[in-house]
Amino acid sequence: MTATQLENSNTSTLRTAGKVSTIAGIVFFAAGFEIIPVSILRSPWDLLVPLILSGVGMTLLLATIERRSRVPYYLLIPGGIWLFAFFVVPMFRLINVSLQEGIFPNFEFAWAWDNYTKLFTDFLAQGRNSLLYALTATVVAILIAYPLAYFIAFRGGAYKNLLLVMLLMPFLMPFLLRTLSWKIILADNGIVVEVLKGLGLLADDGRLLATGVAVVAGIVYNFLPFMTLPIYVSLEKIDHSLLEAAADLYSSSVTAFRKVTFPLSLPGVVAGTLLTFIPAVGDYVNASLLGTPQQFMVGNVIQSRFLVVLDYPVAAALSFTLMLVIVLMLLPYIRATGTEELVA
Amino acid sequence: MTAVAPKPMSRTAGLVRRHTLTVFAVLAFLYLFLPVALIIVFSFNATQGRFNFTWEGFTLEHWDSVFGSPFGGSAAPAVDALLVSLRLAFASSLAATTLGTLIALALVRYRFKGRDTTNIALFLPMATPEVVMGSSLLAMFLLLRLPLGFGSLFIAHVLFTISYVVVTVKARLQGYDRNLEEAAMDLYANEWQTFRKVTLPLIMPGVFAAFLLGFALSFDDFIISNFNAGPRTITFPLWVFGAAQRGIPPEINVLGSIIFFVTVVVMLVNVRLQARRSRTASASAEIDHVPVADQSEKVSQG
Amino acid sequence: MTTGATSITDPTMTDVPAVQLKGVSKRFGDYTAVENVHLDIGENKFFALLGPSGCGKTTTLRMIAGFEEATEGVVMLHGEDMTGRKPYRRPVNTVFQSYALFPHLTVFENVAFGLRRTKIPDADIRSRVEQMLDLVQLGGRGAQMPRNLSGGQQQRVALARALINHPRVLLLDEPLGALDLKLRKEMQIELKRIQQEVGITFVHVTHDQEEAMTMADTIAVMHQGRIERMGSPTEIYEDPRTEFVAGFLGASNLMRVDVTDAAAGKVTLANGHELTVEPGSLTPGHSQVHLGVRPEKINLVGQGEPVSGNAIAGRVLDASFIGVSTHYLVETEAIDNLAVVVQNLDDRRFASGDSVLAVWQPQHAFVVE
Repeated sequence: MTATQLENSNTSTLRTAGKVSTIAGIVFFAAGFEIIPVSILRSPWDLLVPLILSGVGMTLLLATIERRSRVPYYLLIPGGIWLFAFFVVPMFRLINVSLQEGIFPNFEFAWAWDNYTKLFTDFLAQGRNSLLYALTATVVAILIAYPLAYFIAFRGGAYKNLLLVMLLMPFLMPFLLRTLSWKIILADNGIVVEVLKGLGLLADDGRLLATGVAVVAGIVYNFLPFMTLPIYVSLEKIDHSLLEAAADLYSSSVTAFRKVTFPLSLPGVVAGTLLTFIPAVGDYVNASLLGTPQQFMVGNVIQSRFLVVLDYPVAAALSFTLMLVIVLMLLPYIRATGTEELVA
Repeated sequence: MTAVAPKPMSRTAGLVRRHTLTVFAVLAFLYLFLPVALIIVFSFNATQGRFNFTWEGFTLEHWDSVFGSPFGGSAAPAVDALLVSLRLAFASSLAATTLGTLIALALVRYRFKGRDTTNIALFLPMATPEVVMGSSLLAMFLLLRLPLGFGSLFIAHVLFTISYVVVTVKARLQGYDRNLEEAAMDLYANEWQTFRKVTLPLIMPGVFAAFLLGFALSFDDFIISNFNAGPRTITFPLWVFGAAQRGIPPEINVLGSIIFFVTVVVMLVNVRLQARRSRTASASAEIDHVPVADQSEKVSQG
Repeated sequence: MTTGATSITDPTMTDVPAVQLKGVSKRFGDYTAVENVHLDIGENKFFALLGPSGCGKTTTLRMIAGFEEATEGVVMLHGEDMTGRKPYRRPVNTVFQSYALFPHLTVFENVAFGLRRTKIPDADIRSRVEQMLDLVQLGGRGAQMPRNLSGGQQQRVALARALINHPRVLLLDEPLGALDLKLRKEMQIELKRIQQEVGITFVHVTHDQEEAMTMADTIAVMHQGRIERMGSPTEIYEDPRTEFVAGFLGASNLMRVDVTDAAAGKVTLANGHELTVEPGSLTPGHSQVHLGVRPEKINLVGQGEPVSGNAIAGRVLDASFIGVSTHYLVETEAIDNLAVVVQNLDDRRFASGDSVLAVWQPQHAFVVE
């Protein structure tokens, strides 16, 4: 064999050994964390074995890479380990728990698929609430955010940065206090309710608090910057010569807007929608503070199941379902724009 | 295609059109600031009941009480919670900024296999609903029989902050000249010296911004903390949430107002500094180059 | 003198070359940026790597500096093999196209950067930096920040920063590209002066053939990753030897001819008209070659006037009075667009549509095989 051939075969042996070792380590991890339904964790020391296995495996794999190209991997490892240990592993753990059954504190893994069907039998109302409120809030947010973003982008002039700062400033007040403030605004004898009653939009004995309206209002308010900023960014990016050309070509500024400005701002609208709708679906604070159990969303159920009722399996099943729905909604977006744009 | 001349419009219609947007924007900003204003105003509310939701009269006693001793007055437990939040935010943001900066460096400066995986792995925490992240972490902590407290909170907070740090630092890194690091190495600085003397000082503003962002995210976090705090560790948002059922003393409004003003000042100072820095950069003066005559003089002298 | 993939040697070189590339290639995946380059650059020479964008000249420079490792071949500096050596271990310094001045350091600290990596005491550093700033006519600007300097000044800081370390070879990557025309011309003279004064080897990468010819002692013309021609400016201009080099350095007026008598230097055009070239410029074995004449070597006379040398008939398509000269485009029996540049010595000028004879001496033409 020539020198290069020898070197290549050494490298591929190392690489295979590295891969085997790392995978073995991961499998043992999974077993140790009861991610796969095989429990071998008798004491925390048992985790040392997979740790060493995967550590050795990764070192071997690194050794197969030429020295210059190793640096990025060194940089990625600390953060990568953190993300793996505290994001990926718990996610899989969640799946495992979701398939258990029993009563606190005795849970057992039992391929309990009916935990998942509970969403459709017991918690349909909350699921409906989540989707309904999040959707409504998103639409309302677009209606408020778009003109606002348009104003800052096109009429802001020298004050653009100041306006953006002002847009974000209210959010320096702690989240919970802001939300509680809505209790004041929408209070039963407050101005808003009085005005609406006067206009006939609200029945004489109607209230805003403890209704879906209040919850949606809270969601809209809390997520407004997430909708406004992406729209602003995409409006800002539009080449001014395109706008001038549109003004030349079209007889009314409304048409110019419809045909040129709006389509070009759509990526921002899409981004804003995702950034608003997705967290909103999982929110429960607004419903908790501004609504009653009638308005509870999926998030409320998960919270109570986990922390109050201690029904971990069902809570986990709901949690994982929520995650799945969201990932499915994001898939087309990722496929369309690629992964580089995700992390800006 | 011939351009059609714009239809003449009545004067009032034009005025209305132009100003509708401005009116709307003003209303929108009022809408944004109303809740904040109310919190601040109600810190002066002379309320009798447990809940501070209807105006009953003006008083300064709550502000007095907060600045008296114990600090916070009847809301002293809230101040303890505030301190917990501050410690947690500082520690977790520090750790997250370090980890995240390393990742950002790897992503921007190097080519490597597994970019796609890394991008997705960084994106998912941002896309995951807080309920899911919080509950899954809890599930794992329970399995490991890890005691819930500051430690578990720290882990959770670092986790959701890392991705935002990467985004912030990455943006800053992409803006500056690749050649700078090569220039440093060309001038005999090895990798570590290059990082210390060139890379780090230049990305520091971005790193600092990321730290501030992480601090804010951690300080304001409720949902994930709710799941992972355990019975004894109470952060400020957790305290407020609990108090909302029990009865919120107006001192909370005072504390909230203080937090608000402090953060506004910090933000404005930061904005001011950024503005000044970019102003001097663009003012690279039109300094005249040395005319040829001088050069040839030097040559004949030299 | 030899061409081709085997050694292209700088004929003016003595002893150990300052820079040597032996069979150097660089591949990025499927893409070959540099292929099989052999190069010897002598001491104290101003050497230019000339070529269009994407020809591999910057990649070659980066391999000398150490920012890229050659996929194949060896880079040697003063006889020492540099393979695997990081840039900070090579006795070369680089001036970057974007200057790459450290924005967070003063001009003084920028220039002092390389010295600070060594054990030279502070006082010495201070005096050397000040001396260097004077050399590039930036004396007294040490405390300023790079962003407050004009483009020309920044460029000189970059130069000072590199030179102060007494590298034995200075690499320049299109350093004048960002300057306006007047400044660029001044800097060309300035750089040449500094190179001669300091006495080190400069390797200068550029796509501007005028720049290369003004400044360099030796030029290597690169095309698609290979060196096509290397020599002094005069040599490569008057004797380009390949079609690409001929066209890159100026208008070449290439005409296709058949070789009728190689020894005597006789060739014929397609229509049978015979032309003479310098005997010895035709190597035996080629039956068809291209004949090239530079525009300034051609004179125009009216048809029917007495001529000596080669003459072909044509009709003026375009005449542009430039001031110093008149540029003509002539449709001829040999080539459709013959470019001719005639100095405006007298009032004699031709206009569009005139019938003329294009005349040149045999020794002024070159052959491309």
